[in-house]
Amino acid sequence: MVGAAEEAQLNRLENQVDNGGGGAWEYLCLVRKLKARRPDKVLKHGLSILNNPKARSNLGTEEWTLYEQVAIAAMDCQRVDIAKDCISVLSNKFPGSTRVGRLEGMLLEANGAWADAETTYRRLLEENPNDQVVQKRMIAMAKALGNISTAVEYLNKYLEIYMADQDAWRELAEIYVSLQMYKQAAYCYEELILCQPTVPLHHLAYAEVLYTMGGLENLQMAKKYYASAINFTGGKNTRALYGLCLCSVAINQITKGRNKEDKESPELQYLAAEALVKDYKEKAPAKLTLVTSTLKSMKLIS
Amino acid sequence: MGGVGFAMGVLGGLLLAHAAYTTIQYRGMLKIVEEEFSGPPMNVVVELLIAMTLCMVAGLTVPGKFLSILPDSDDNRVVSLPANLDFMIFNHRGRVLPSDADLKLKK
Repeated sequence: MVGAAEEAQLNRLENQVDNGGGGAWEYLCLVRKLKARRPDKVLKHGLSILNNPKARSNLGTEEWTLYEQVAIAAMDCQRVDIAKDCISVLSNKFPGSTRVGRLEGMLLEANGAWADAETTYRRLLEENPNDQVVQKRMIAMAKALGNISTAVEYLNKYLEIYMADQDAWRELAEIYVSLQMYKQAAYCYEELILCQPTVPLHHLAYAEVLYTMGGLENLQMAKKYYASAINFTGGKNTRALYGLCLCSVAINQITKGRNKEDKESPELQYLAAEALVKDYKEKAPAKLTLVTSTLKSMKLIS
Repeated sequence: MGGVGFAMGVLGGLLLAHAAYTTIQYRGMLKIVEEEFSGPPMNVVVELLIAMTLCMVAGLTVPGKFLSILPDSDDNRVVSLPANLDFMIFNHRGRVLPSDADLKLKK
């Protein structure tokens, strides 16, 4: 989870490091802690530490973690040469380690040698059949090859055993959304909400899936989940505010002409529209006219 | 603030010790005049109250700042989920972006 304060700190450190202000190691630690994906920056600043013998020896045993981080970043930037050098340093230090074995498999993946990578992973799985990371790599490899149905099958098998793995549920949900299998995606998001009931982004994603599916019942549910996302973010999530507006407009269209009892009180949608206008007034005044005219055409503000 | 809080805590502890000492002395005196002990004298009670306040203030300020429990405060509000690094794949569009050729791991 990346909180607002942590994100601000990450951006501040990134700015500082990019402008040569020092603090590269703190930045790399924060990137690792928040699991942010910034391969180009990690590669640049990580190498600057690794190429400086004094700075490197100051890290102590953390040095090897940095080698691993830089190796993965290098693969992400398609700099296989650097990744290879880092991994060879690591395998000299830790011969026969599973963790380095995983990195070697990933290097083969980055090279596009899928069959070799699979052999490496299968060998690692033989040694330790419960290695979750290697199993996830197999799934990722199926996805990278474009075998989405295989990836889904593997993921489902994996989730039968490791049901508490939230990352895997999220991955499966995203794959299902990309395949337009919204019902299944909704199930995955329900699992995620059960695991972490206070993360607004899961509520938001679930609401979006429900809204996409359509139908009065789903729209009403979506509206509730958008409302809870707004509740958890204190109204600072613009996407949730828009979602709520769109949901209420869609519900009003469906229930138009029905008897009054079906209709919900319109206060929520007006409040959301008001909050949107206020937000834009503060942060992006140039776009304000666009937003107000859109909201006016939806009859949410007068 | 920490220094002041700590000093208040020390003062509170001393007051507490003094109150105990005064009570012991008071009881000793009661024994001499052969009266029943019904409760501590007024000045000890006041001293105890002051000591309690001081200790409470110290206990609340010295250990650290309070963390917010509101879900929408800046510390707790989740703005983005971590990148799903376990499932990262390498054949993405980053492939066509040029990378700085000078970067190299020196041995």
